[in-house]
Amino acid sequence: MTSGLIFGLTGIAVFAIGLFGALVMVEPLRRVLALKLCSVGAGFLLVVGAWREPPEAPDPVPHALVITGIVVMISATAVALALIRRLHMLERDTDD
Amino acid sequence: MTELPTIDWPTAVVFAPLAGAILAFAWPRRAAALGLASVLVTAAAVAALALQVLAEGAVVTRLGNWGAPLGIDLRADGLSTVLLAMTLGVGAFVSVGALDSYAPARADDRTRRYFWPLWLLLLTGLNGAFLSTDVFNLYVMLEVIALAAVGLTVLGGGRAAVRAGLDYMYASILGALLFLMGVGFVYLELGRLDFAGLIAAEPAPALTAALALMIAGLLLKTALFPLHFWLPGAHANATAPASALLSGLVVKVSLYVFLRLTQYMPLPDELLVTLIGALGAGAILWGGIQALRAERLKLLVAWSTVVQIGLIFVAFARAGQVGLAESWKAVALLILAHAVAKAGMFLAAGRIKDEVGHDRIADLDRSPIRPTLAQFTFALAAISLIGLPPSLGFAGKWVLMEGAMAAGYWHWVGVTMIGTLFSVAYFSRVLASFLRFDRMRSPVAEHQGWALADAAPLILALSALGLGLAAAPILAFMEIGYPFGATP
Amino acid sequence: MVEPLLLFDALLGLAIVALAVAVLTVHDRFAMIVLFIVFGLMSALAWVRLSAPDVALAEAAIGTGLTGALLLTTLHHIRAAPAAPVPVPGGVVVANLGLCALIFGGLAFAFLLTPLQAPGLAPAVAQNMAASGVGHPVTAVLLNFRAYDTLMEVVVLLAAIVAVWMVERGTVQAPAPVLGEIYRGFSRLALPAIVVIGSYLLWVGAQAPGGAFQGGAVLAAVGLLLLLGRLYRPQPAHRPFARAGFVLGTAVFAGVALLVAGGGRLPFEYPAAHAKTLILLIEGMVTISIAVTLAALFHGREPEAVPVSEKSE
Repeated sequence: MTSGLIFGLTGIAVFAIGLFGALVMVEPLRRVLALKLCSVGAGFLLVVGAWREPPEAPDPVPHALVITGIVVMISATAVALALIRRLHMLERDTDD
Repeated sequence: MTELPTIDWPTAVVFAPLAGAILAFAWPRRAAALGLASVLVTAAAVAALALQVLAEGAVVTRLGNWGAPLGIDLRADGLSTVLLAMTLGVGAFVSVGALDSYAPARADDRTRRYFWPLWLLLLTGLNGAFLSTDVFNLYVMLEVIALAAVGLTVLGGGRAAVRAGLDYMYASILGALLFLMGVGFVYLELGRLDFAGLIAAEPAPALTAALALMIAGLLLKTALFPLHFWLPGAHANATAPASALLSGLVVKVSLYVFLRLTQYMPLPDELLVTLIGALGAGAILWGGIQALRAERLKLLVAWSTVVQIGLIFVAFARAGQVGLAESWKAVALLILAHAVAKAGMFLAAGRIKDEVGHDRIADLDRSPIRPTLAQFTFALAAISLIGLPPSLGFAGKWVLMEGAMAAGYWHWVGVTMIGTLFSVAYFSRVLASFLRFDRMRSPVAEHQGWALADAAPLILALSALGLGLAAAPILAFMEIGYPFGATP
Repeated sequence: MVEPLLLFDALLGLAIVALAVAVLTVHDRFAMIVLFIVFGLMSALAWVRLSAPDVALAEAAIGTGLTGALLLTTLHHIRAAPAAPVPVPGGVVVANLGLCALIFGGLAFAFLLTPLQAPGLAPAVAQNMAASGVGHPVTAVLLNFRAYDTLMEVVVLLAAIVAVWMVERGTVQAPAPVLGEIYRGFSRLALPAIVVIGSYLLWVGAQAPGGAFQGGAVLAAVGLLLLLGRLYRPQPAHRPFARAGFVLGTAVFAGVALLVAGGGRLPFEYPAAHAKTLILLIEGMVTISIAVTLAALFHGREPEAVPVSEKSE
């Protein structure tokens, strides 16, 4: 049993939970969060791929990939949230 | 431009649209001029790259001179170059069409200003993806494409467009994240991300998981039945040039990545190839039925995209696992045929809607205005999509059926025939309404004068028709640099 | 015979999974976002345990902090909407639950069969560190070895702000949360400190964990405080400056990548003597763009003068 093993399984579980949420959730914000869970799960897997039993230094390449992934994900999240706000506004206006 | 020989064309193909996007966004008043200029410069760079590939074979650029797997390489072989040429050919004409579609009389200032940066960012992503040789880089490119494509989907700003754009966004991000999880498994097993590493790899459970995740993500992004739910709404509710780009180009890029990956990481089982073909058959049947029932012209055209994607996957599976070494050519030809014809058709549908004022199929023949040229263009594009000679669509279907017959897979021939009958049926609904005008009581006003916007779709539709005659040289060009088999 | 740290890891892993479930199941939407923020911080902690401090910092600042702020302001806008529009049929839930359990099983199986701690690219990175121009391996990968990816990542951010400005037309002045008086006083004190921290993170990134993205995120927090404290109000006249800020990082990054080429050098191939300077230049400009863009993404819509209905445009 190692930290890598524990957190690798954690990441896969979080990914699967996020996938479930993305497939069945209907609330807009919750769907966005479900997708965010998937991205954290994928991040876990890459960080585990970089991990070496200390004191050996980790592989920096996956770390760079996850940082890129985090910035990409907030970009996608911001667009999705803007669409949610816009749709809400359009639907509210027609309801009146 | 002073020292021509030192220009690195693969880099230029990615950076020219990026520069255009930056300029068009920073300087909105000049967005259209800057945007069109940047598309033309990119087209010239692709032409130069094509000449270089023709002369020297595959062109590889080691960015930063590190070389894969530490660095990232760009690689242009025959297949990549043909798809780049397709992208720029379609893109250039759609850009010209956009000049009219978003003209001050038709669209608000905002729409016009935002179309260009979004389209050029999309073009950056498309070109980058066709040249990529690294799975993580592909993930980033897919995200560039996804965000720009969603922006284009909601460009009209209506409620239906925003709702469809949001559905598209969810599907697109989920597809990208499935792909990213696959990338994680690739690195876990191989410790590298470049295509050469994938080709050299021994089969392993982690790679099977990676391939499954990446294929699932790509099929969602390509909208293969039953993962097509997001497509009709998004493509039907966008403005016409955006629909042309989304249907003609955007769905093709995930198809292309699928094609590469399934060659580099062989599918573990024959059953899987058959399953993918079966999903394609499902798309042909379900999409065909929906196209027959569609009440609006653009929705019908969007459902026909679902059908055509199904057909492309049938071409993928046409000769089973052993046939994959050849089947990719049928896939590539059909990708090309659909891109050119569908872009022309969506632009023509947009013209019809602009002129008539609506796109309800049942009422098209009651209109006092008959946009004859746009209707003619629509019919020409339909010929290629149905697959009549001498169109590119015919060439693609011919290669498909030839391979299927040679391998004795007659069921795929049958499915293709059924798909053809379906497309004849649903396009006839539209064409019949173009030809009938007895329900119109007042005199019919023919053809509202020549517009630039009529030229763009017409040229695209004519190209789809005529390029079928050039199918043999296109096929020969695609094999340059041995896209599959040799180490990239 | 269980090591205490491994026990900690196991408990942390369980807590993360439980929080993920809670995010999807808790009824109240505000609680959902708070739980998500806790989830993100716990994940960052786990990544510290996996010796990935850079990633943990980025996840805490961007993936959790700024994402949480975005979610909260969106919730503020849409809170009138019903929490659960349409209930999902139970059969669909069960089928998807089964599907995802199956996927978890398959992926976990593949993961357990894969030997961990393979060499990966670490040796190649170590070998080329001296030529990279920076001392911190993650920064070397981000800004030199895989600089093309990083450029495209900044392009994704640019695409996001273009799309967000396009989507939200700014015609209706939507209610935005405002900080109370006490917090305004606090923000005046905090702002200079945050600017210093952000700049420090950028600077230290060349040698130690930190860098453009973490620094940019912290500086973006300055923008958030300015916006929330009404210390800065976006005006239509500021749009050209904002646009310049958004494209600055991409333009400088792409420009440097192209300009170093020629004379036998390839794009992105920084001359060894100037590698450090060029990378710092790129990092500085990218940091500014990230900070401005993230703050603008938080603000949402493009500041527009015309407060009229949609159709008159």
